[in-house]
Amino acid sequence: MTDLAADIIRRLSGALRPSVAISVAAVLVAALVGVGLIFALGVSVTDAIAAFIDGTLGTPYAIAASINRSIVFALVGIGFVIANRANLVNVGGEGQIAMGGIAATAVALYGHVGDLPAGLAFLLPLAAATIAGTVWGSIAGVLKIKAGTNEVISTLLLSFIAVWLLYWCVQSPQLLRKPMTSSATLPESLEISDPTKLPLLTGDYSFPLHIGLPVAAVITVVAAVVLTRTLFGLQLRAVGFNPIAASRAGISYSRMVMISLATAGSLGGLAGGLMLLGEQYVLKDGFSSGYGFDGLVAGLLARGSVVGVVASALLFGFLRSGGINMEMVAGVPTALVMVIQGLIVITLAGAAFFMGRRT
Amino acid sequence: MAEPLLALQGVSKRFGSLAALSDASLDILPSEVHCILGENGAGKSTLCNLIFGVHVPDHGTMRFHGKQYHPAGPADALANGIAMVHQHFSLVHDMTVVDNVILGQERGFVNTRAWSQRLEHLANDYGFALDPNAKIEDLSVGERQRVEILKCLIREPRLFLLDEPTAVLLPDEISALLDICRRVTESGCAVVLVTHKLAEIKKAADRVTVLRGGRVVARSDDPAREIDALVSAMIQGDLKSLDKSAASALGVVDGDGDHSHRTGGFETPRREAVQIDGLTVVDGHGVTRLDNFTLSIGPGEIVGVAGVEGNGQSELAAALSGMTAPSSGRIFVGDLETTHLRPKDLTAAGVGVVPEDRHAVGCVLEMTVAENLFLNRLQAFTSFGFLRRKELMRAARELMTRFDVRAASPEVAFAALSGGNQQKAVLGREITLPHLQFLLAAQPTRGLDVGAVAAVYGHIRSACTHGAAVLLISSELDELIAVADRIVVLYRGRIMGNCAADPSERERIGALMSGHAQ
Repeated sequence: MTDLAADIIRRLSGALRPSVAISVAAVLVAALVGVGLIFALGVSVTDAIAAFIDGTLGTPYAIAASINRSIVFALVGIGFVIANRANLVNVGGEGQIAMGGIAATAVALYGHVGDLPAGLAFLLPLAAATIAGTVWGSIAGVLKIKAGTNEVISTLLLSFIAVWLLYWCVQSPQLLRKPMTSSATLPESLEISDPTKLPLLTGDYSFPLHIGLPVAAVITVVAAVVLTRTLFGLQLRAVGFNPIAASRAGISYSRMVMISLATAGSLGGLAGGLMLLGEQYVLKDGFSSGYGFDGLVAGLLARGSVVGVVASALLFGFLRSGGINMEMVAGVPTALVMVIQGLIVITLAGAAFFMGRRT
Repeated sequence: MAEPLLALQGVSKRFGSLAALSDASLDILPSEVHCILGENGAGKSTLCNLIFGVHVPDHGTMRFHGKQYHPAGPADALANGIAMVHQHFSLVHDMTVVDNVILGQERGFVNTRAWSQRLEHLANDYGFALDPNAKIEDLSVGERQRVEILKCLIREPRLFLLDEPTAVLLPDEISALLDICRRVTESGCAVVLVTHKLAEIKKAADRVTVLRGGRVVARSDDPAREIDALVSAMIQGDLKSLDKSAASALGVVDGDGDHSHRTGGFETPRREAVQIDGLTVVDGHGVTRLDNFTLSIGPGEIVGVAGVEGNGQSELAAALSGMTAPSSGRIFVGDLETTHLRPKDLTAAGVGVVPEDRHAVGCVLEMTVAENLFLNRLQAFTSFGFLRRKELMRAARELMTRFDVRAASPEVAFAALSGGNQQKAVLGREITLPHLQFLLAAQPTRGLDVGAVAAVYGHIRSACTHGAAVLLISSELDELIAVADRIVVLYRGRIMGNCAADPSERERIGALMSGHAQ
């Protein structure tokens, strides 16, 4: 009997690749610490968990909202993984989302797209968001190729610029701020018109899952196939592992850097567009909500696997919803979710450190 | 027989499915130079790493001074009086010799002057001079190795391991190193010298243990006399069947090598296959690294480039392979000017490159053997951008058989291959380029064993008989004399002279290499 048990354990651990095992372990460790912290706060752990589950799975609305959020994380995370194949680290998701939001708002409000047929009313703003993200990602690529600027620095600083550009846009009536009718007019844009809002899959506002879901699903499949089955995916890996040998073999380093950072940017921009056209409808300060960094963590946790990104994006999407409800119902600060995410990153980094030492 | 200093009993080590060392037993006696002989992948380095505590054996026992010895790591081995010089040096380049020696040996305050004096005394004792205040980056490879050796000797070890120490040295540096080994043993210390060069065994070894496929296959207490038997055990074949050039380049037999390919149809080239005109490379600091290099190579001709390393060979190779833009000069391959072509277009023009630094430039260690074998022409295996994996695997298997690249499958990581097999793979990729016109091979046999060296020479020659022009850059003079048709000598980026590839020219080439024009 014990032999059988040992055999099952061996098979299971063989099936789970070490990277998956590490990610799962990191999540479990972080969750345990989270429960410990709730306990330390003096809140009933069962109440908190009940509130958490209610906030994630309790209502159709909660489920749809969590999935919509996961879509954003997944897109940013996939962009992170693509750039990471070329050994680049894109930490600019936040800024790429902001640029996508600005572009989507501008086109939706002032692009005269409201009357266009065949979904162009929302597709054009979405395309504009994607292009804006692409441009933002490409700037980091150009800086890397022409000046050797580390992309971690450039994408992060570009994020600050984008976030403040967004602030400027919603503060200034000449830009995207809604007309000032009184001194109480909020610094935000007008609400976009109904035709430019993303259609809901069910058409039912109590389950507001929008067409971002199929879009993200297609992108996930395409990204996974491109990375694992195509020459491009192989060349990206070659450049990531050994840029000198790759360039001797005729693979252009500049081209790979540009394509991967631009793609990561485009997915960030698209995510921003989906957020604005699918949920928020109004551009305001704090629009990007830190989702760029959540997406980055999702990419990090996936350890290079596109399928892994989907899993970790769903995890974080539901984690956020549950966290919000825990605060409202059980009085546990949402900051706890941030703590758990931070713990996951540290556990992962620590595991990588110890794995590196062992070999 | 004296009490052994170190006794290994039935030691085994596996890495995954690979048995790196199986049931190996050997005794190291005090005051002896004990050579470990074997081809690449025979388990020589594994053996050293077990003794030095880098790896832990799976089975077997080690006894040091008659006591059980289980080193927990290199620090433990050092504490026991076992020191090792690795194949790759571990020196901090912008620090001085004495600082490098002190590193890791002192805590708290450091008396640099006292260390310098100790170092100078020690160097004197072993019959060489070394400035303790020189920076490592200003030293030659041979001098750097001496720093590594001093780093070990200053600990007064009782057992001294040297893993392939001569692979990077010039001929007179090698004999100086062997002298140092002899002197080290005078104090009762034992020296374990890992090598695949038979000339070194003849000169320095008291006893020899031969490894093949992780097993001890032969031992000798009188290696100078039994050298033929040892070679046969190492390569599992007859010395007479060995490639003549490989044998002479390795110092097994004296002679001129095998120039039989010269009797091919290209003795009087009709036109030049490769024409290099006034090629000049100036580096980022404004220093001229390659100065007005002019050379033409006929079809089927092998031209050797001799010189001490760092005299412009790397820049020449980089410019010819499209990795550096030359400051001036022109390069023609056939009728096509290739001066400013990118690597991709050079490959299309039939220029094959075996780079000097295999790991940095020649391959992607983390990718599979198959991917590396076709790294420069993977497009041939795609339809609409998708890789046709099965076809790639089939082609890779074919190439692996043809070039005797030994790996479990084309899907294993390139890093899992031994150095010799990696080099055969890189060479196989470059030689089988469609329409190969020009093969540039830089240090193609560095760190390889006899069998692999012979294979490399054979493949280079076969490229010639098919009409390709070959430029062979090597710091091993014996290799150039054995393989090339003629030799140009580089010194400080300039061609010092043109010589025939003949043993009688050896002295003249040596003089040109050190900058003495005649």
